[in-house]
Amino acid sequence: MIQFDQVSKRYPGSDQILKNVSFNIGAGEFVYVTGHSGAGKSTLLKLIAATELPTSGTVLIAHQNVSKLKPSAIPFLRRRFGLIFQDHKLLYDRNCFENVILPLRINGVSEQEAAKRVRAALDKVGLLNKEKVMPITLSGGEQQRLAIARAVVSRPSILLADEPTGNLDASYAADIMAIFQAFNQVGVTVIMSTHDALGMSADQSRVLHLDHGQLTENPFMQKPSNLNPAPAETFSS
Amino acid sequence: MSIWLNHHLQAIKLVLSRMRANLLSTFMICLVVGVAMCLPSLFYLAVDNLSKLTDHMKSETEISLFLKLDATTDTIAEVDAVLAKNTAIHQYHLVTKDDAWQQLQAKSRDNQNISTAIGQLGKNPLPDAFFIQAKSADPETLETLRNTLQSIPGVEQAILNADWAKRLSTLLSIGKKLIFFITLLLAIVLLVIIGNTVRMQILTQKDEIEVSYLIGATNSFIRMPFLYAGILYGLFGGVLSVLMVAGIIQTFNYSVMEISRLYGSDFSLAILNANLYFTIICLAVAIGWVGSYLAVTRAISAIKIN
Repeated sequence: MIQFDQVSKRYPGSDQILKNVSFNIGAGEFVYVTGHSGAGKSTLLKLIAATELPTSGTVLIAHQNVSKLKPSAIPFLRRRFGLIFQDHKLLYDRNCFENVILPLRINGVSEQEAAKRVRAALDKVGLLNKEKVMPITLSGGEQQRLAIARAVVSRPSILLADEPTGNLDASYAADIMAIFQAFNQVGVTVIMSTHDALGMSADQSRVLHLDHGQLTENPFMQKPSNLNPAPAETFSS
Repeated sequence: MSIWLNHHLQAIKLVLSRMRANLLSTFMICLVVGVAMCLPSLFYLAVDNLSKLTDHMKSETEISLFLKLDATTDTIAEVDAVLAKNTAIHQYHLVTKDDAWQQLQAKSRDNQNISTAIGQLGKNPLPDAFFIQAKSADPETLETLRNTLQSIPGVEQAILNADWAKRLSTLLSIGKKLIFFITLLLAIVLLVIIGNTVRMQILTQKDEIEVSYLIGATNSFIRMPFLYAGILYGLFGGVLSVLMVAGIIQTFNYSVMEISRLYGSDFSLAILNANLYFTIICLAVAIGWVGSYLAVTRAISAIKIN
């Protein structure tokens, strides 16, 4: 489904962020992208979402070479993904409902059908009672859940999450992880970058570890050494 | 098809709700468009009505044929015969020197000064004259006819009374050119104003545009609400302009009709000028569309992530 072949990425005037990265992700997998800060995790996700193009090598998404796609085709490629960002990228000038409906508007879904799907998505992340609330009044964890609702409302086959738990304390992070697991169980491919290992509870998870832009290991069922299943009480007051 | 329709409906709804949220500023922009469209329209109306008026006058132009003072009744008969044969003449009538003399005396009876002056003249200074109406109102044809008539033996002078009408129509053609350039300049001003307004709106929607791109919005999806905003500014501004023009015509009509009545005419300005109104609205909408298209295309290429 997602194939990287000798992919390198270099931004103008900077070091090489990714060096000859090759991997293959199949449908329905749950993949962690780990590594220290600046190792290239975000760049890797951006290459998958086609918001960046590789400097060399090929990125194949559903057998399509992203570098060779026409610019007009890229929006349609992006609609296969549900994107979740560390900073949520919510729109604070409108309520939760209006935030979540945005992808459906882009897809041209009719208003009635869209409303149903928005409520279903809000229900999945436990925010159904907050649809009229402005996102700025939500807690960090709720905002991230709202961002997840927006990412899944168009029923994408792939979820891309860039450090979704990075700013959250442990109990919220566990909530978020549970939601991702639930989506993975119904067949959604989940690719998630993280600099800690808080949520990596599932033993079957696959880990892509980046070290200074190189994919140093590609272990199955191997957890990074800094795994620390911190209990929620440690962080919550 | 239904996706396409949904996109358009959503864009229009979005724009209308944004406009409702900023009612005053929306009204201001529409007012600017309306006033800017109103100015050339009024100028056009003035020139158009004046040229209609001169056309009307031109058809009344006649050639005055003054015979020599010593013309005999034989000469008059000869000239009469020549005129009767000329096919370019619609109709003509003779005013003999005695008739003219009597008319002058009758007309000046009320005015003491002139009647004393006439009384002092003693003998009739007026010539025999033919007043001729041509079939054509075309200035050049009239000029040729005048030359022909001038060459008839016994004719002292043939005068074409259309010179002032010719001058006026030349002035009016200058006025028409002026309208064209005023419209052009105001159209450029409107393009800039609408473009700038849309650009400001794009800046306030920058976050939304960025997020929309990230989750798969196409350029046309991003562009559409802004294009509709431009079109609606044009439409509302055009309608406002039509209302203003109609209102101004109405107030003018009171005075115009008063003047026409004094001149024994039923001339008035037409309030319902469908062509003009249609042109105003279409032009305003087109300007709105082009202005927002230019602004949104420039802004999008600046915002776009890749």
